[in-house]
Amino acid sequence: MTTPAQEFLRSAATKSADLRHRQILRHSIDTYNTSAAQGQARFLDWQAARRRAQAIKWEAVNHLDKYLLQFEVRVKERGGHVFWAENGEQAQKYIVDLAAARNVRTVVKSKSMVAEEIDLTPALEHKGIKVWETDLGEFIVQLRDEPPYHIVTPAIHLSRKEIAALFKEKLGGIDTDDPEKLVAAARVALRRAFFSAEMGISGVNFLVADAGMIALTTNEGNGRLGTSLPRIHVALTGIEKVIPRLEDLAVLWPVLSTAGTGQAVTCYNTLVGGPRTKDEPDGPEEFHVVLLDNGRSELLADAEQRDVLHCIRCGACLNACPVYRSVGGHTYGTTYQGPIGSVLTPHLRGLHEFQHLSYASSLCGGCTEVCPVKIDLHHHLLHNRRNAVKAHQRSWKERIGFRLYRWTMLHPSWLALAGRLGRHAIRVTHALGLGGSALDPLRAWTKDRNPPPIPARSFRSLWKERRGAD
Amino acid sequence: MEQTENPAREHILQRIRKALSAPAEHPSTPTDERLFAPVSEILERFEAECAGNHTECVLTTDSWATAQAVAEVLRSTPAGEVFMQDAPSLRRLAANLADRTIHWSSNGRPSEEVQATVTLAEALVAQTGSIFVSSACGGRAATVAAPVHVVVANRAQLVPDLQTLFAQVSHDDNMLKNSMLCLTTGSSRTGDIEKILVLGAHGPRRLVVVLQEE
Repeated sequence: MTTPAQEFLRSAATKSADLRHRQILRHSIDTYNTSAAQGQARFLDWQAARRRAQAIKWEAVNHLDKYLLQFEVRVKERGGHVFWAENGEQAQKYIVDLAAARNVRTVVKSKSMVAEEIDLTPALEHKGIKVWETDLGEFIVQLRDEPPYHIVTPAIHLSRKEIAALFKEKLGGIDTDDPEKLVAAARVALRRAFFSAEMGISGVNFLVADAGMIALTTNEGNGRLGTSLPRIHVALTGIEKVIPRLEDLAVLWPVLSTAGTGQAVTCYNTLVGGPRTKDEPDGPEEFHVVLLDNGRSELLADAEQRDVLHCIRCGACLNACPVYRSVGGHTYGTTYQGPIGSVLTPHLRGLHEFQHLSYASSLCGGCTEVCPVKIDLHHHLLHNRRNAVKAHQRSWKERIGFRLYRWTMLHPSWLALAGRLGRHAIRVTHALGLGGSALDPLRAWTKDRNPPPIPARSFRSLWKERRGAD
Repeated sequence: MEQTENPAREHILQRIRKALSAPAEHPSTPTDERLFAPVSEILERFEAECAGNHTECVLTTDSWATAQAVAEVLRSTPAGEVFMQDAPSLRRLAANLADRTIHWSSNGRPSEEVQATVTLAEALVAQTGSIFVSSACGGRAATVAAPVHVVVANRAQLVPDLQTLFAQVSHDDNMLKNSMLCLTTGSSRTGDIEKILVLGAHGPRRLVVVLQEE
């Protein structure tokens, strides 16, 4: 039985050596970077926009109970249902039971990371319900029977040639790698599903408290169709997605789009507040909002890391992260990848099993710099490391190692001796051609790399000599 | 379902209240910073933004020209269902479309085979070149279901920016009674294959705004 940490290391080693993988990700992320810079230029001051977005989310998250209740009242006034779920099982059960009670046979799903978090699709399929992912990227990874690779761009790891081969095999009647034709094929495949499904399941980008509406941001229009055509609409979300006012969207919609894709605003920014009214010609007869806690209220209790709940799931920190770009999304083995996933997952799934993700970082701070709601991501990785140490969850080897390190650093003559021995050991192993072998003290580094030449003299002796010459 | 009353609700609220008893540091942020340059020349800005986001914008001077513009777009679509919001102004306009069978929104939602939909909008936004629609604009599917969506609007509906739009919407109880509102910016698109932009994913490939200037 391998631990998530071992699995991570193994997959990271493979992926980071896969140059084709690196090239595909680099192409996508370079394209994103160009658009994001153009998007930011539309603001008078992008930094001011980040500060405003941060202030809005701070207000909401630090008065979470008040705004959730306000939201709930308004949704109920319009005839919608609000279900509160403490954990994934409760949320999953509510939706599966609802589908069974209403004789649902087909579900059209638009993108929802929370659905991934609670394993909703397998649970529905287990009951014999057909679930169509309708976001193109999600549809592609569903055909491959794998989880999304990126929270905004699920199929970021695939070239169009691979997607073409997939469509040829799974959809049939199509043999082209022209993106237009591939999109058209997906449209045809999903069109019937939209018009025949009994239930539409969507995620939520924002829960707007004063209006009592969910806000949904998409580009393809799948979110619009899936929440309009079926007779039941279920919106699934974490409790932290609430914002106080409709007017906040004048800031948050452009900020989310800019950080997510670089667009000024995405194509469809939709607000849904309830089932169809009696004056409306169409729309679902039932509207259910499922509010999921699943560890979020515990994170809320950690005042130091509370701002992690500000996250608007734009994916900017993934794009900025040198670790994500090298190891890719699946290596994380988590619902949420990249820096936000590394910070969040130990809270959602246990510090013990997922503390290794706190080290999946160069601490360059690129994530913190791009975060549109100013989450202090790289410091939170440090906080998680500290908390893991405090909870005595590091190995005995590491504890002894650090004790030795501390002692040596406090005793200059021992430090000098350690340096001298180390240099000799490295020189000898490399002279014997054992560099990178189990006998090499620098093996962790040198098994994949050539070490720089070991200098003849130590810094300490050079310092003594040159200071002496003054 | 009965389950909407359940103990989880109270548990979660209790946990939230307990969690918030420890205050988090407040980010002291000035809230009066201007985020976007003010929009002047709103019609020009709207047209420029539309050009940038692949919305076709047709300016007309009177209702006759508007009807002609709509008819011209519809002529370019394949034979088949044209769906229209059942509104008096569109009923008058449809008198020019004798060659097309019209499915009015008062008879239910558009069909799977719908070729084009024609609706009004609640507002137009210059800052982003967007149309703002609601479920009152022919229903929830009308503004997204067909390969071509034609929006008939007039100059007075144009607002400078999102801030102005939301300030209006937030205080408009009738608007907030709609089950759906949507800010639509350009035609449906995806970049999910190698970040290559493809128009016409699940929604309209063409979004045409016929904007009457009177």
